Amino acid sequence: MTLPMKVPAERASLLLLSILICVVLSAAAWAAPVAVPSDETQRLGEQMYRKGILPSGAPIKAYVSGDVPVDGTSFTCVSCHLRSGLGSIEGEVITPPTNGRILYQPRKPFIPGSEFVPSYSNYAKYLPVRPAYTDDSLAALILTGIDPTSRSVLKVMPRYDLGEKDMAIMISYLKSLSDQPPPGVTKDEIRFATVIVEGTDPVAVQSMLAPLQFSIDRKNSLSTAAEKNHRVARMGYNMLGDLSALRFSLSRWTLKGAPATWRAQLEEYYRKEPVFALLGGISEGEWEPVHRFCEEKKIPNLFPVVDYPVLSDTDWYTLYFSRGVRQEGEAAARYLYGMAELFKGKPVLQLYRASRKGQTLATGFRESWKAIGGGAMTEVRLSANEKLTTKKVLKLINQKKPAALVLWDDAASLSALSGLAAQKNRPGLVLASGTYLGKALWAVPEELRGLLYLTYPYRLPQEDSRFDVNVKRVLQGKPLELYEQRIVRQSYLTGEVFGKALMMMRGEYYRDYLHDVIGMMSDMHYPLYERVSFGPGQRYASKGSYIVQLGSGSNPVLERRSEWVIP
Amino acid sequence: MKHHLPWLICLLLFASVLTICPVSPAVAAPVTYKRTVEKYQIPDVILTNQFGKKVRLKTLLESGRPVAVDFIYATCTTICPVLSAGYTNLQRKLGPDSAKVQLVSITIDPENDNPRILKEYLQRYQARPGWDFLTGSRKDIDRVMHAFDAYFRDKMDHKPLTFIRGADGSWIRLYGLISSSEFMAEYKKAGLL
Repeated sequence: MTLPMKVPAERASLLLLSILICVVLSAAAWAAPVAVPSDETQRLGEQMYRKGILPSGAPIKAYVSGDVPVDGTSFTCVSCHLRSGLGSIEGEVITPPTNGRILYQPRKPFIPGSEFVPSYSNYAKYLPVRPAYTDDSLAALILTGIDPTSRSVLKVMPRYDLGEKDMAIMISYLKSLSDQPPPGVTKDEIRFATVIVEGTDPVAVQSMLAPLQFSIDRKNSLSTAAEKNHRVARMGYNMLGDLSALRFSLSRWTLKGAPATWRAQLEEYYRKEPVFALLGGISEGEWEPVHRFCEEKKIPNLFPVVDYPVLSDTDWYTLYFSRGVRQEGEAAARYLYGMAELFKGKPVLQLYRASRKGQTLATGFRESWKAIGGGAMTEVRLSANEKLTTKKVLKLINQKKPAALVLWDDAASLSALSGLAAQKNRPGLVLASGTYLGKALWAVPEELRGLLYLTYPYRLPQEDSRFDVNVKRVLQGKPLELYEQRIVRQSYLTGEVFGKALMMMRGEYYRDYLHDVIGMMSDMHYPLYERVSFGPGQRYASKGSYIVQLGSGSNPVLERRSEWVIP
Repeated sequence: MKHHLPWLICLLLFASVLTICPVSPAVAAPVTYKRTVEKYQIPDVILTNQFGKKVRLKTLLESGRPVAVDFIYATCTTICPVLSAGYTNLQRKLGPDSAKVQLVSITIDPENDNPRILKEYLQRYQARPGWDFLTGSRKDIDRVMHAFDAYFRDKMDHKPLTFIRGADGSWIRLYGLISSSEFMAEYKKAGLL
């Protein structure tokens, strides 16, 4: 073999040497393991990224809008690039991904796998192309805001004042973000599960499952049709990109026995069948072991049907429909506070049943009432079996002379209130929980209806009926009466939100990103809840309650007595 | 086909809604902010401040003190922190006189931003007396946004707007993310500094 042109021996040797060095270096690079940050580096990087705190404990110094000096604690990386590092879209600003996997690749004017998807969430089409970052060019960007093409990024991106060591920790952390595919995601399938606590009313379970299974089947039928029909395949791809070919599966994980044993059962289910996320789920009592499991394993759980969600300002992985029963107590406090000036120093009397529901409502009311400075309050607890009588109610009214009576009990206590409306020294209003009364809400005695106000944390039924058509669709012709309406509607919402979220994820099926995209969603108007609203870090879809009264007549409707009350 | 058609229709509708949303490049040359002078009629609404106290907006904004207003929300990731940093910086410059200038932030997420959250937000930005963060019913918040020609259908569509009340009762409307020096220059021009 001869060279096509004459090369001097010396130059040929140099060329060979260069090639050899390149090969050796390439091989070394290939063979070298990807640097995995130590646990400590990871912890410090996370602290910088999420809290804006340097390893020294001092806040990172930063500048925004050109020259506004700020603490990194109020301008953290996570606030714009979000927990997954995969960026955000908000208002007029698109924040690109900042994870190593994407930064260290050249940026094209599309997201690979979604080249032709004309969606707003296909953000890359709005961004200029750029070469791959290196550690040096990434450090330069963080320090100066100048990218590898010498462009200055938007002024909203702070310029962070980081020393060499801190910068290395930060870059190491960025490389770890959304880097490894999570369990439950393969190139063909995304696996989900739903948790059912044994002993839950079968109608309630079926009402939770039917809309979820409909969402899963609907998606899979698209994949099946796409395999058989080229036009459907093209349409599916144009809308969903790579997602169109993926199949979904939904397993049922049934928890048996005492809540203390659930953790081991969940571990076993998860070991046998890792899932990307838990969808829905249902329990008539405890949910905390499932919540804790999800928190520790970093598994998203979208909207379990529970009355007692775990309330936390910092937990991340479980999204709830609301703050549960407690939210009604909190809203009642806010509503009464709005009229507290009329109380003229008289107290609020809180009378509550020593049941879980009664105590949760009472705690919500008590804590909110105190926090907002609601004035005098007196409380009476009814033991689990104690019957509330008219005599006892009147005695309490005469003793305490309350401006308002807050009563947290089921329908059993309603009869004790009869005759109260006719009393001269009665409180101005009685406030109770619409959901605690349950179906008895529709049978409040006529003479009490003018005095009794109720918390009602949903859209009024007569206004929500316009969504019946949506709900019937997911039940596929089965009669609505066979299902628990509230739960079907809740589960319908779950199916819609997770479907929309997966579309917005554009192939980046990472657990933190699932929550990140839900946080970016516009407010939604779905059945049951007046306004389903998220924002970055928000964990409760619906956050308030109406105060209503039951209208008169034999076929009464609920009448709104307040705007949507936010506790 | 019967089975997947609703899914496709749903997707088409969703995508068409998303594709018409306005958007700006994330990485771009800094855009010069837009300044106009406007007349606004402040609605007579009662809002709630970070201490849970009722505040009559008209009284607060027309107290005779220099006033600035912006629309933000507590869990905002991009625009609001920048606007709030501008307020923080202004209060630093004002020093002990911070309360002489009334800074008002009005939430566009009343669903989430209760007084406790408003208070925590202000603490995060080291707010001093003179900076109030207000919430209220969605109806009242919508009225205020409309009055300032700053209505956002959804909090995720919001824009960087700051309003400074001039001595004659007119409002200087600043649209854009402006630098600290530009911000200060505007405040000086309006007599706030």
